[in-house]
Amino acid sequence: MIERKKECISMLLAGGQGSRLYVLTENTAKPAVPFGGKYRIIDFSLSNCVNSGIDTVGILTQYQPLELNDYIGNGQPWDLNRNFGGAHVLPPYTKTTSNQWYKGTANAIYQNIPFIERYQPEYVLILSGDHIYKMDYNKMLQFHKEKGSECTIAVINVSMEDATRMGIMSTDENQAIVDFEEKPAHPKSTQASMGVYIFTWAALKKYLIADEADPNSENDFGKNVIPAFLRDGRPMYAYPFEGYWKDVGTLGSLWDANMDLLDPKDPLDMRNPHSKIYARNYASPSTMIAPTSKVSNSFITEGCRIKGTVENSVIYTGCEVEEGAVVSGTVLMPNTIVRKGSTVSYAIVGEQCVIEENVTIGARPEDCLGEDWGISVVGHKKTIPSGTVIKPKEIV
Amino acid sequence: MKMCGIIFSEMYSDELNSFTHDRNMAAIPFGGRYRLVDFALSNMVNSGITSVGVLAKQHYHSLMTHLGNTQEWDLNRKNGGLQILPPYASESLNQANRGKLDELRNALDFLREDTSPYVVMADAHVICNMDFRPVVQAHVNSGCDITLVATQSKMSNSNTYKSVIQVDGDMRVTSYALDHVPQPGDYCGMSIMVMDRQVLIDTVSEFTARGVYFLERDFIQARFNAGELSINIYPFTDPVLRVNDIESYFSSNMALLDEGISNALFRPDRPIYTRVNDEVPSHYGMDCNISGCIIADGCILEGNAEHSVIGRGVRIAKGATVKNCIIMQGSVIGEGASLENVIVDKWATITGGSQLKGLETAPVIIRKGVTV
Repeated sequence: MIERKKECISMLLAGGQGSRLYVLTENTAKPAVPFGGKYRIIDFSLSNCVNSGIDTVGILTQYQPLELNDYIGNGQPWDLNRNFGGAHVLPPYTKTTSNQWYKGTANAIYQNIPFIERYQPEYVLILSGDHIYKMDYNKMLQFHKEKGSECTIAVINVSMEDATRMGIMSTDENQAIVDFEEKPAHPKSTQASMGVYIFTWAALKKYLIADEADPNSENDFGKNVIPAFLRDGRPMYAYPFEGYWKDVGTLGSLWDANMDLLDPKDPLDMRNPHSKIYARNYASPSTMIAPTSKVSNSFITEGCRIKGTVENSVIYTGCEVEEGAVVSGTVLMPNTIVRKGSTVSYAIVGEQCVIEENVTIGARPEDCLGEDWGISVVGHKKTIPSGTVIKPKEIV
Repeated sequence: MKMCGIIFSEMYSDELNSFTHDRNMAAIPFGGRYRLVDFALSNMVNSGITSVGVLAKQHYHSLMTHLGNTQEWDLNRKNGGLQILPPYASESLNQANRGKLDELRNALDFLREDTSPYVVMADAHVICNMDFRPVVQAHVNSGCDITLVATQSKMSNSNTYKSVIQVDGDMRVTSYALDHVPQPGDYCGMSIMVMDRQVLIDTVSEFTARGVYFLERDFIQARFNAGELSINIYPFTDPVLRVNDIESYFSSNMALLDEGISNALFRPDRPIYTRVNDEVPSHYGMDCNISGCIIADGCILEGNAEHSVIGRGVRIAKGATVKNCIIMQGSVIGEGASLENVIVDKWATITGGSQLKGLETAPVIIRKGVTV
């Protein structure tokens, strides 16, 4: 029988806890963390897939999956409700011979070999759901095919300093990977892995099975599978990506990436109608900017009511800033209320928070001694009582 | 209590002909991100109605695009769902509007296939947030032939309403006038009514067969005056916006700036759904001055806007001033332009430096796609 096939499917690793986001990932997986006014982090990878013509995405969940499962639903917001393919949430499951969690990134894919084989793909794109970027994966796939590669890793040029914290590729003049180091003290290159891999499925499957059989392996792509490909001299290439790419794994980088949206040059190319970022939409009315308000240099999503001052901030769906409240340099996540007389500066405030009257959160850098200053963070669903002061760098 | 819904999408189209030359009333943009039909349709969905027929006579391309596969309203169903009911091409083309009974002929198959005992009918031009379940319950309890939803006129005004109704202590209609000015205490019809489905089918078949086409005049009023029709009124006390000409379209948009009205229309427990466009959040520029505005997603606002309703993806350039305006989706207001009391339809361009000024009662209207 001739079966239907997909040339390339995508597997999105969305099981990570994202512990460096502290309170923001206490009860939710990192990919479900809100970003950029109306999105969640995972929207970028999902939308990239769809905009690259990849219509089959396995989403591997493990840590706190409820919100993520609910968010993905049937995949419709991303046009991933398909008859053959589409979005599939893949949690770990019990089997007759063993019950196990996803031990590592490679093991997560290994455990889902039966899912992948249903589509008999030539290629598998492995993504992590914790980066903000727009990328045409199809171009990378063309590169993979042209080079005759079995493993292609997308790389981006970073500073020497950043290179010490990332996976670094050394390549020859043909972009063939000759060396790979995780977090090198003395980087040999500045080409950092973006956590975007394309494998030829037949080769990857072989290596996943071998990796699983090795009791000493941590079953991780970066630590085990990719080094094994390299050791065996398999054809591996680094695909150079140019454009905006940001790991939002820390509170500081999450705040930075939100603030990057205010750049009038639009480095993320958010307004390109041919590569829209899709998100699940909650029916909320247009935003009201009251006569008492003062708004400048900000991103404000539909469903808000702004009566106070908002400057240099990213305000998500359904937020309310009452008269006399001042929000500056701040990320207000969905459905948060800032009441009269409160000041929120240089902070991230989680979803569904209530900042009662006359609260002070954070401070402007110019009002602090250098080392005292940092982003203040309020977790999700918190009520901050009247008169509270939350200092810079404080996490509540 | 099972019910199905019928929406009339054409009422008053002629009075808003600046906007309806290529779209019908139901598809007119409203409140930044909505189309008029969204309110009646969302009310039906939020009342548990899963089978809705939308009657469309002409220029319904825009309405069809807006409704798409009706996923946003959760009406992409195996059983029921939403049906657009255009006329049978052979008969009604190029004919003047002959009334709701005539239009309802196109809904006969829809009504016959449905199994609900009751039908809720609503016009797209009446904006409110209403749960139809208590209306149907009141209809059943009343034992009347028809239930009309109406607002009570509190103070005297000189506006003419489509139907002006007087009732007794049990909310039974004692007087039914059409195109009339209400006295304080009178009820004004909202073009929302409930009937038994089978009664509606029989009425439409019988009246249209005799060449009688106007629902309000030929059926409700004539039968009522003959003592053959009992009418129950369901009083509605939340805010209602009726859009039936340019002036009311303008004031209804501006009414959204009133928090009381906005709270009543946009209740979190009964959301108003609309087509999703996946626009980026709006960007408010460094030197913008925005005050008292309703603003949808996707805008780039670098100039000034006051007391205005701004649709999706609108751009207001530096130094431009927009006051008392409705700017619809995708329009661009060029640098230094100044607009007051202007309605700019979709995808229009107001070139830099232009000065446009209308009156609150007679706003300047810039047609879709035009460059000024």
